[in-house]
Amino acid sequence: MIQLIEYALNGALLGLLYALIAMGFVVIYRASKVFNFAQGELVVVGAFLVWFFTLDLGLPLYVGFALALIGAAIFGLIIEPLLFRRLVGQSTFSMVMVTIGLLILLRGLVLVIFGPSVRPFPDLISTAPITFGDITLNRGLAYGGIFTILLAIGVSLYFSRTRPGLRMTVVAEDHQIAQSMGISVRRSIAYAWGMGMVLSTLGAVFYLNGKSVTFLVAEIGFAALPVALLAGLESVGGLIPAGIIVGVAQGLAAGYIDPVVGGSFSAVFPYLVMVIILFLRPSGLFGWRIVERV
Amino acid sequence: MVTRMNGRALAATVAATTLLTACGGGDEDSGGDAGAGGTTYNQAWLVDFSGPYADVYNELQAAREATNEWWNETVGSEIGVQLAGEPYDHRYDAAQVASLWPGILSELEPIMAMGVGGPDVAALQQRLPQDQVPLLMNTAGYGYAWSADQWVFNPRATYAHEATGFVDWFKEDRGLDRPVRVAMISSEAAPAYVDIVDGMEAFAEDFPDMAEVVAVEFADVQPAALNSQVSRIVDAEADVIIIQTNTTQAVVTKQALESLGVEIPIMLSSHNSLQATGAAAGGIEELEGDYESYGFVVPAAQEGTAYDFYQMLVEDYGLEAEWTVPTVQGIAHQLYANRTVEHAVEMVGAENLTGQAMYDALLDVELTAEDLFEFLPPLDWTEEAPFPTSGLTTSIGTIEDGEYARAELDHEIPELEKW
Repeated sequence: MIQLIEYALNGALLGLLYALIAMGFVVIYRASKVFNFAQGELVVVGAFLVWFFTLDLGLPLYVGFALALIGAAIFGLIIEPLLFRRLVGQSTFSMVMVTIGLLILLRGLVLVIFGPSVRPFPDLISTAPITFGDITLNRGLAYGGIFTILLAIGVSLYFSRTRPGLRMTVVAEDHQIAQSMGISVRRSIAYAWGMGMVLSTLGAVFYLNGKSVTFLVAEIGFAALPVALLAGLESVGGLIPAGIIVGVAQGLAAGYIDPVVGGSFSAVFPYLVMVIILFLRPSGLFGWRIVERV
Repeated sequence: MVTRMNGRALAATVAATTLLTACGGGDEDSGGDAGAGGTTYNQAWLVDFSGPYADVYNELQAAREATNEWWNETVGSEIGVQLAGEPYDHRYDAAQVASLWPGILSELEPIMAMGVGGPDVAALQQRLPQDQVPLLMNTAGYGYAWSADQWVFNPRATYAHEATGFVDWFKEDRGLDRPVRVAMISSEAAPAYVDIVDGMEAFAEDFPDMAEVVAVEFADVQPAALNSQVSRIVDAEADVIIIQTNTTQAVVTKQALESLGVEIPIMLSSHNSLQATGAAAGGIEELEGDYESYGFVVPAAQEGTAYDFYQMLVEDYGLEAEWTVPTVQGIAHQLYANRTVEHAVEMVGAENLTGQAMYDALLDVELTAEDLFEFLPPLDWTEEAPFPTSGLTTSIGTIEDGEYARAELDHEIPELEKW
């Protein structure tokens, strides 16, 4: 029984980490209707910024971390004028294709600027575990889980209760309508990428705390994909239950199915859960149901 | 006037082409090209500058190139052969290898290819006999590639062999009168990773008094946490954890062991060595009491024949690489390739080198440790396997009192059946 709880809890924490990474997907999608294939690369860039300001420059840990977040926000903001400004009003497909280009570009840039070496990632959170009786939890993931829940509430409120958030939602609906209402589409898209980049950097911190960073950690972007799709691409709040569902499913599969089948079935299990749920609810658990009148 | 100038230019081009053609004494089929230092032949250097092993390839390729330069200047010029090379980045991707290969054949006409790892073997193994280009590897071999009459040559046995050699040594070192309880953390991301597990399980079955595989955990190659997996390994009371995938799995395993408050030594391979994993974990001292095992010299001591050769490359040939496992791997790789060229020249002459001649030379040559400046043990291939099947040894590195050290040199590997 203890083992069952441990598998489920560790799985849930991992799922909440995926939810944090997926929040980057959702924020960008909500503000621009662009599905960002380069999400994993944003995590890598954020992680390398943290490494650069803390371990490479040797700045005090929290000063370096704060500078990394500022750097990440600036990096996100400049993506819009560089890549998306000329695409305002164009088809969403064009913008999505640009994110694939961004993925390749960022991978190359990271290799050129930071090199291919595996770098240590700082311990921003103690690596000592949290123990409840016989249950041991990863402290970084546990703090990350709590942080993700609070952040999801905050971001949800931002999108539904604040003017800038509502403006971004209108932009996601239709660029032309947004512009006709006097909303700056370009600014909204830039803010969304800035937010996405900051969220990705936060995700990198909880993911890599005390471990190592290389350009290959971008894989986490695709691992977080089932959570984003399951939640519904517009729902920030939905990421929490979706993350927990995916994480617990993965944790239990790792604990009970993997040893039986002798392979990492747990790696594909979240996708299986996602497909089943999307089959029943194509817009995800909490995605917007669009009613179109012809 | 313009016409006359063009006519002169044409005449000059024809004359130059004729002259160059006359100078080219090498066999056209082999890609040989005679020059001042002898006939020049091409080798294709397959590299991974942008895939999962990009972190090791800067040093490894620099070592290959410096060694080749040394050989051209000292040995090649004596026997009338110069070896040129071109690197091809395939990102450790079999599809990329398959797509690059026809271009490599037509552009370079190589007499040999210098491989990276599993993707090369998977993509090219079947076609190499038709292409008549031997593929020389620097990695250990794979159980799935263990077949006769093929054109892939590994200077080391399989990764599983290297792990079993370590287990054999570990049992002796710890004075165990029972089999070593082995746990493995691997991944299903590549066939090579699964093969390592299959090989160890076959070994445990054939040598039940030597090893017992008590846990096998397949995980992501970039895991966020391995607490559950390591927890099961602890419950299985493993003596040692074998991780031959990558540095990330090793670092996350160490973190999980630390969080559980348990000390179980881990054994790593050459591509995720103690140095590489230590650097990723924040310091080599984090791996106190852990091991690495592979079939070439452990670059711990800064002395000896191998180290002297490396120093010579640094000083005289501008090698910009630290004394690390990838550097050693690159030097060893190029050394046995070039020594084989020497043997091929003895067999067919400097102007008749072809892929077939290299293949024949690889099967015929018997390289001693001295020939290879003690980077590798003696090598003697047969048609039965892509790696030498006799006299297999592995060397073991460890971290002792915070220092990188050799625990064992050339430990004999038990004889394994194919799996």
